[in-house]
Amino acid sequence: MSTEGQDAARLAELRQKFGREPLPPREGEAEQSPRDAQPRFRGLESGHRACQGCGEALAARLVMECAGPDVMIANATGCLEVFTTAWPQSAWRVPWVHSLFENAAAVASGMEAAMKAKGRNTKVLAFGGDGGTYDIGFQALSGMLERYHNVLYVCFDNEAYMNTGIQRSSSTPHAATTTTSPAGKERMGKRHLKKDLLSIIAAHHIPFAASASVAYAADLQRKVRYAMGVDGPTFLVVHSPCPLGWRHASAMTIEVARRAVECGLFPLVEIERGAVTNVMPIRDVRPVTDYLSLQGRFAHLMKDADSRAAEERAHLQALADYNIEVFGLRGDSPDAADTTGTAVVGRSGRPAGRI
Amino acid sequence: MTVLTRGAYAGPGTSLDFKTGNWRSTEKPAHIHAKAPCHAACPAGEDQQAWFAKLQEGHAEDAWRELVSANPLPAITGRVCPHPCETACNRVAVEGALAIHNVERWLGDEAMRRNWAYPVTEPAEDAPDVAIVGAGPGGVSAAYHCLRHGLRATLYETAPEAGGLLRSAIPRTRLPRETIDAELARVLGLPGITLHTRARLGRDVTIDELKRKHAAVLLAPGCQEGKEWSVDGAVPADLHEGLHLLKEFMDHGAVPEAKNVIVHGGGNTAMDLCRIMKRSGAETVTLITASVLPGPDADPSDVINVVPRELEEALEEGVEVIEHATINRLIMKGSQVCGAEIQSLRKLPGQDGRSRRVGFEGTERVINVDMVIPCIGERVDPEGLNGLVDHGYLRPSDRFGRLAEERVLALGDARGDRGTVADAIGDGRLAVSAVAAQLAGESDPPADARGEMPSGGLNLGYYEGISRAVAPKLAVADRTFDKEIEGDIGRAAVMAEAERCMACGNCLACDNCWTFCPDNAVIKTEELAVDGSHYLFDMDFCKGCGICAHECPTGFIQMLPEEAGG
Repeated sequence: MSTEGQDAARLAELRQKFGREPLPPREGEAEQSPRDAQPRFRGLESGHRACQGCGEALAARLVMECAGPDVMIANATGCLEVFTTAWPQSAWRVPWVHSLFENAAAVASGMEAAMKAKGRNTKVLAFGGDGGTYDIGFQALSGMLERYHNVLYVCFDNEAYMNTGIQRSSSTPHAATTTTSPAGKERMGKRHLKKDLLSIIAAHHIPFAASASVAYAADLQRKVRYAMGVDGPTFLVVHSPCPLGWRHASAMTIEVARRAVECGLFPLVEIERGAVTNVMPIRDVRPVTDYLSLQGRFAHLMKDADSRAAEERAHLQALADYNIEVFGLRGDSPDAADTTGTAVVGRSGRPAGRI
Repeated sequence: MTVLTRGAYAGPGTSLDFKTGNWRSTEKPAHIHAKAPCHAACPAGEDQQAWFAKLQEGHAEDAWRELVSANPLPAITGRVCPHPCETACNRVAVEGALAIHNVERWLGDEAMRRNWAYPVTEPAEDAPDVAIVGAGPGGVSAAYHCLRHGLRATLYETAPEAGGLLRSAIPRTRLPRETIDAELARVLGLPGITLHTRARLGRDVTIDELKRKHAAVLLAPGCQEGKEWSVDGAVPADLHEGLHLLKEFMDHGAVPEAKNVIVHGGGNTAMDLCRIMKRSGAETVTLITASVLPGPDADPSDVINVVPRELEEALEEGVEVIEHATINRLIMKGSQVCGAEIQSLRKLPGQDGRSRRVGFEGTERVINVDMVIPCIGERVDPEGLNGLVDHGYLRPSDRFGRLAEERVLALGDARGDRGTVADAIGDGRLAVSAVAAQLAGESDPPADARGEMPSGGLNLGYYEGISRAVAPKLAVADRTFDKEIEGDIGRAAVMAEAERCMACGNCLACDNCWTFCPDNAVIKTEELAVDGSHYLFDMDFCKGCGICAHECPTGFIQMLPEEAGG
């Protein structure tokens, strides 16, 4: 008998002995579509109106997948709010509230207090863009952290006010061009530096604050799962490229995000109670130009004729080197959890033993 | 139709009513099975990527079955093949090609150790019978492929045993007799194959007689006759022609003594003889070749055509090589050679655009030798071939090997433009596929028109450097005439090597497309989809951003113009 025949016979024997009949399909129930049969929770459903290659839509999808169904969301004004909820439709499969630009954290605080009063365990998430987090909603966020609400606040950081037409925010990196920090004769894009929000958050001495990137989905989801298990305020900032505002090809979203991490401009770190407890080491550090050259918002830095371009490139390289030095990002030896090791794929998913 | 809840809230997931798929303007993703470069480069037609996939799943026997669906002699080719697959391997762009030949050899040996059964069944009693002249690697491959097509095969071999050039021209240091015997016995022992030894074409059988008795006649006689060699008409009385010398050595285990030897040629026979002469005690052995040694600046079309590790080992053993040179004149003492004049030359394009060899005046130098071995190739022995031989070779009209005579096909070295065991094995497979199609009244099997996946089509960010397995080798001092030099890498190294395969152009089921789609437009399925992957594109929602194609490690997802099918 062939091996297959043997297997089938043995299986039938085992079924006979231990098994029970598979349940017939429930009456009146349509056969499950392949979409419904997927083994991942789709908290953010298809049909949302995000642009092609939207990093923020992807980040929100990845967060929802592992935050799971028993959550509710307070969403600040921004792209995410606009493109997911074109009334009378919603792309969300969980309770979702939008109030104002500045008060996502305050609304989330209230929702959490209500859940507590009702004796429910539903975790409250607060979502905001960098505008609603770094700038406009900042004081509400600070208050939420200080009052120690059991909320996971996720900031989808696409480094400008994309929803209103690419205005600079305090998260926009130095030298990037936006409609309110245009590159030209007077300036090479944004004059100021990107706000170091994570340090400010860390100064609240909350249980867990971390940065993540859409390019490293497994790492991002590990951080979400960890934060979900914390009873207290937690904060996650997710680097989410915006093809429209950053002016790169929609297919390059992940590549751009990956290079931001690999050059050191967006370090992936975890901070618990104010102390850095983990960083993702960079196996092969790239020059920042690898990252900048993919994006139109830095195109003015690539003009060799302009002496200011070289200076700004050197400045950004120095900022990346600073991050690498301060957080100790340079890996000593290949590591399964460094930038390359985290990305490695094998047949049927990630190699065994990886996060 | 959107149903509003009480209070006019939007219901969960109602955005599904809005089909963002109509946002796609120019391109859409598609699953494209491209040829892995190893497969495209393999003269035997193996799909290395496919059997490495089985190994990655941990199924060595399945891997071997996949392998022998093209090449029934992996233990032999794993030892002697110049492995163009490794030269083509995209892993070169990461840290070095896969050790494909070592893994192939291990699979072949493992199959013999464990007696894995070839995936063929006995053909029907009245199945058409194909005559195959010559039981070398090409003939044996043809016989095996007959079984795969449900045909019977009868082999006619001049020598007392099968093996052809494997026995007569490949030294035991590369290919032990035990391996040849064991692997050939396993194939020739399959029911449906009959072997007649000591049956010489022209003496014991004729083509006309075979054509009467058999459905088709495949000619795999190999090249048995040395080409005539002379330098300006001078031929030494004690000339030792390469292939004959090698055969003599294989039969008797000894070669004539000489102190300073020149081997003239640039193939594996030349390389084997260099090493044999060196090992039998010659002080200096110099290879004179018109080609060049491989190196960063070498033009690939000009590089010496030998198994790379053989060249490496020969240099280790002290064989000297003069590149880009030829023998211009022999210096004789009576009818004995005592020296040779060497001249530099290059292959250069002539006025008609065809490249020719140009010798350079003023570069002549004389070296003292007492033996010159020409290894400049062999040709077909025309006996019994009904005048089918044209300028030394059988020259078929198509890739299947069809000759002028009806139902007669040629394969292997006799075609003249071949030169490796793998070529012959691939010819055998192709010839039989044409015969089988013809017998079934079908047209010729179509060539595989799929494109090849270049390393630029992969996303190398998802692979990390893992160093290539290194096979153990005998130290130079321990090398003898009959001990195999390269060793087995072992199961652990084989499995580690399998992990290095990047599955170019084929789905790894790594989930990247599913994970990175911002629009949930990639759907994972439990059963295999029709294209052999586990993923579907939901074109109702795909906006055509191209992230899945860019993040696909293997290049299996490609963006096609919106109008194209697929």
